[in-house]
Amino acid sequence: MKQSLNILFVDDEPDFLETALKRLVRRGYGAQSAACCDEAFGVLETGWPDVVVLDVMMPGKDGIQCLREIKQRWPEMAVIMLTGHASMQTGLRGLEYGAGDYCLKPIELDELLEKIEIACKELNG
Amino acid sequence: MPGFKRLPEILAGFFGRGRPLDQDIHALRQLFRENYRKFRALLTANNIALELMAEMEQTLNSGRPFGMTFVRGRCTAVDVNVFKMIQRLQELAGGRYGGLTEAFNVVSGNLQEILDRQPAVVDCPFVVGFDRIDKESADLVGEKMANLGEIRNRVRLSVPDGFVITASASRAFLAHSGLRDEINRLLTICHTDNLEELYTTSAAIQQLITKAPLPEELEREIGNAYERLADRSGHRLLVAMRSSAIGEDSGRASFAGQYRTRLDVDEDLLVETYKEIIAGKYRSQAIIYRLQRGFRHQDVTMCVGCLAMVEARIGGVIYSHAPADLRSPYAVVIAAQGMAGQVVDGSSDTDMYQVSRRADHHILAQECRASPAGEPILSAAQLRELVDAALRLETHFGAPQDIEWAIDGQDRLMILQSRPLGQNGTIPQESCQRNMAPGKDTLLGGGVPVSPGIASGPVFIVRSDLDLLRFPKEAILVVEHPLPDWAALLPRAAAIISETGQVAAHLATVAREFGIPALFGVKGATSMFHNDQIITVDAAAGHIHNGRRDDLLARSGRQPDLMKGSPMHKVLTEVLRHITPLHLTDPASIYFRPSSCTTLHDLTRFCHEKAVSEMFSFGAKFHFSEKAAKQLVGETPFQWWVIDLDDGFAEGFDHRGKFVNIDQIVSPPMLALWEGMTAIPWQGPPPVSLKGFGAILFQSTMNRELDPAVRSGLTTRNFFMISKNFCNLNVRLGYHFALVEAHLSDLLTENYISFQFKGGAADQGRRFIRVQLLRNILEQYDFRVEQKVDALTARIEKKSTDYLVPRLKILGYLLIHTRQIDMVMDDQEMVGKYQRKILTDIDTIIAPELKETRI
Repeated sequence: MKQSLNILFVDDEPDFLETALKRLVRRGYGAQSAACCDEAFGVLETGWPDVVVLDVMMPGKDGIQCLREIKQRWPEMAVIMLTGHASMQTGLRGLEYGAGDYCLKPIELDELLEKIEIACKELNG
Repeated sequence: MPGFKRLPEILAGFFGRGRPLDQDIHALRQLFRENYRKFRALLTANNIALELMAEMEQTLNSGRPFGMTFVRGRCTAVDVNVFKMIQRLQELAGGRYGGLTEAFNVVSGNLQEILDRQPAVVDCPFVVGFDRIDKESADLVGEKMANLGEIRNRVRLSVPDGFVITASASRAFLAHSGLRDEINRLLTICHTDNLEELYTTSAAIQQLITKAPLPEELEREIGNAYERLADRSGHRLLVAMRSSAIGEDSGRASFAGQYRTRLDVDEDLLVETYKEIIAGKYRSQAIIYRLQRGFRHQDVTMCVGCLAMVEARIGGVIYSHAPADLRSPYAVVIAAQGMAGQVVDGSSDTDMYQVSRRADHHILAQECRASPAGEPILSAAQLRELVDAALRLETHFGAPQDIEWAIDGQDRLMILQSRPLGQNGTIPQESCQRNMAPGKDTLLGGGVPVSPGIASGPVFIVRSDLDLLRFPKEAILVVEHPLPDWAALLPRAAAIISETGQVAAHLATVAREFGIPALFGVKGATSMFHNDQIITVDAAAGHIHNGRRDDLLARSGRQPDLMKGSPMHKVLTEVLRHITPLHLTDPASIYFRPSSCTTLHDLTRFCHEKAVSEMFSFGAKFHFSEKAAKQLVGETPFQWWVIDLDDGFAEGFDHRGKFVNIDQIVSPPMLALWEGMTAIPWQGPPPVSLKGFGAILFQSTMNRELDPAVRSGLTTRNFFMISKNFCNLNVRLGYHFALVEAHLSDLLTENYISFQFKGGAADQGRRFIRVQLLRNILEQYDFRVEQKVDALTARIEKKSTDYLVPRLKILGYLLIHTRQIDMVMDDQEMVGKYQRKILTDIDTIIAPELKETRI
C-alpha cells in the first residue's frame, strides 16, 4: 500500500467537500473533488486517484450509474458510496456493481478514512 | 472471480502429478492470498454488522430518543454488510451457498416493507364545517378539532363557529410542489443534537412551506368557507386559526404548545396564516418533541381549524380533577383577563380556584393574582358553570379532562379545547408540599413546583434565541417567562426555573412529561443567579440550594422512558425481529443451512462459520506443504496446531518442518492468547465428588449432543489459524467447545475479539452455572455477553490494540482454567471460590497493562 492515498470525492455538496478536503490534506492525504460524474472521469483519466468516494444523489448521472461506468473502465479502482439518504436497495446495488462500502452521512472523518483504507486493502491486498 | 475458477485446475495438477510444480505452488499461494483477503473482508463486515445490531438493541432499551433516520440508516448499514458477507463467502466457496441470496432477499424484503410503510390515508374534502365533525372525524381533521366537533354536536356545549382545513388539504399542498421530498431530505441530513443546525433546518423548512403556492382549488375552497362563515356571523369576521394534528396519540403525549395558533386573522391573511400553521409542524421545539417522544414526522399531518374569534373577557383552563391528583374531589380552574392563551403561555398573572366536584360546586380554595386588587375575576356562578361543563366533558370522554375556555362580553361560556389530562403530565400529590423549612444553604424557598424532581447543575439564563443556541447540556434553564419556545431545550436542561407561570403552562406540562424538575413563580430569578453558578433545585419542595447537594440528588427518581410504546419504538422493535434473533446456534445441526436463516443475525452466523471452515479446509485439507498445520512446540498439557494463513510465521521460517516454536510466531493476537493460556500452570482436573462424577457418566451415555458443536475437520485437534493481525482458535478440550477470534491492527473498524463457548461434560445445570461464572467475569471486563442456556458468546469491537490485548490474555487464561470445572459447579460456595481464584489470577496476568492504563 502507498504511504498516503489519493482520494477523489465526487459530490455536489460544496459545504461537505470543502471541510473534508482541507482536513484530509492537512493529514497528508491527497484529496481532490469533482462536482459530477463526468468531471470525475477527467480526474480518473490522469491516473491520480487511488480511491473514489462517490455521492449517490447527484444532478445528471446518479451515483449508481457513475459507479458502473467507473468499474467498467477502471475495474481495480476502489469506490466507496457515501450518501445522506439511507436506502437499502441503493446500497445493495452499489455492492453488486463493485463498491467497496456503502456509508451514510454524516460520518466522522476518522471513520471514513478507515473505510477508505479498508476498501483499498480489500481490493489490493 | 478469476481465483476460484482456477482452483480445480491447480488442484488437479497438484494431486495428479504427485509432487507439485513450483508454478502450481506459486499459483496456489496467490489464490490463498486472494482468499484470505476475502475472508478478512467478510470478517470486517461481520464485525460491523454485529456491532450495529448491538447498538440497535441498546438504543431500543435505553429510553434514549431516536428517529426514522437512525432506524433507516442502521438497517441499511446492517443489511449492506450482511450482503457483503454473502458475496465474499460465495466467492470463497467457488459459487456455492447460492441459497443464501434467496434467504437474504426474503429478510431484506421484510425490512424494506417495514421501512416503506406509510400511514393510512383517508381522503375527504379540503374543508369541512363543524356541523359535520365529531370524534370519528379525527383521521380527517385532527384530534383537537374532532373533539371540538364532538363537544358541539354530541355534548352540546358552545364552541366557536367555524370549519377545518383537513388532512387531505395539507397533503395536497405538500405534494403540490415537491415540498414533501425536500423536507424529508433536509430532516434526514440534520443533526438534531446541534441546536444551531436544528434551528437552521427548521427555519429553512418553514420558509419553504410559507413561500410555496397553495393549489388553486384549495385556495378557492378556503376562501369560500370563510365567506360562508362571515355570512353567518353577520359582521366583519376575524378567525382564530389553530393547529390540529393527526398522528398524535394524546393519551400518551401532550404535544402541549408545540404548534402554532394565530388569533384575529382576517380574510387577507387567511392563506399566509394557513401556511404558517402547516409550517409550525417543523418548529424546532416540535421536531425535538417528536424525536423525544418517538413520533415519526411522516406520521404527523397538520390540519387547521378556523374558528370565529371569541371576544374573550376572561379566559383560562379548567382541570376536571387536580392535575396533581386525578382522584381529587375538586376541579382546578385557572383564569386570566382576556384570552386563555395567556394562561398556557405562562405570560400573565392568574387566579387559581379549587372547586368541589360535588353538586353544589362550592369553592374550596382560591388564590387571586389576575386583578390588580387581588379580587377574584370569576363569580361563584361562573365557577359552577365551568365545573359543570368540565364534569359533562369528563363523563362524555370517559377520562379527566384538561379544558381551555373563554367567557365573552355577553357572559357566554365557550369551550375552545378539551383533551385528556395526561398521566404523564401529573404531579404526585406528596411532592407538592411547599414552603418546607429552608436550610442554611438554601438560597430560596417558595416558588411553584410545577414538575417534581431534584437536579443540580450550572445556571444558564436564557433571554433570547441567541442564548438558546448557546445553552450547554445539563445546565439549569433560568427564564423570565415559561414560553413554549423553550421546550426545544428540555432534552438538554437539567431543571427549569422561571420567574412567572404556573402548573398549566405548556412548558410545565412538557417538563412533567420529560421528568424534568421545574419551579415557576420564582420572583427575580434571572437577576438573582449568574451563569455557571452551581445550584441544586429541589422542585417538589420548592427550594433552590447553593452548590451541588448530593444528599438531595440521591433521593431523586428515575427519568421516564419516553420512547417505550411510541410509534418509533414499535418500528424499531419490528425491524429488530428480522435482524437480531439468532436461530442457528449449532453448526452440527442439520438445520444449519441457508434456508433456515430467517434473520440477518442467522445469516452472519452462517457466513462466518462457513468462511472459517472454507479457510480451514483450504489451509489443511489439501496438504499444501507451505500452508499445512504445524504442531506447536511448547510446555502445555494439550496439543496445539497452527495454520499460517498469510504472514503469521517469522520471516525465514522453514515450512518443510512439522513443528513451529512459539518464538517463531509473529501474530500479536495469538501471542496474547498464548500468554494468557500459559501464564499460570493448569492444576489438572478438579477433584470431582461422586455426585458430580455420576452426572458426567449419565450425560455421556444419554446426551448425543456431547459431540460438540463443531465441524468434523476441526473437531479432532485444537487449531490456531493465524496471520500477522489475525487469530482464530478452535478448541475442543474435554467435552466443551470454544472459539476465540481476534483481529488487531491500527484500524479500529477491523479490530475485535469474539468468544464462543458451549457444552461440557456435566449435566445441564452445572454447565449453565459454569457459563454464568464466565459471563460474570467477562462482563467485568466490558465484553458484551449473550447467553443461551450453556452457550455463551462474548464480543468487543472497534477498540484499540492496547485495549484488546489484555482481554485476549484473559480469554486465554479462561480457556485453560475453566476446563472441567463444570463438574464441581454444584454449590454456591464452590462457585464463589473459583470466581475469587480466577479474578486474582487475572489480576496477576494483566498486571503490566493495569499499570499502564486502567482497563
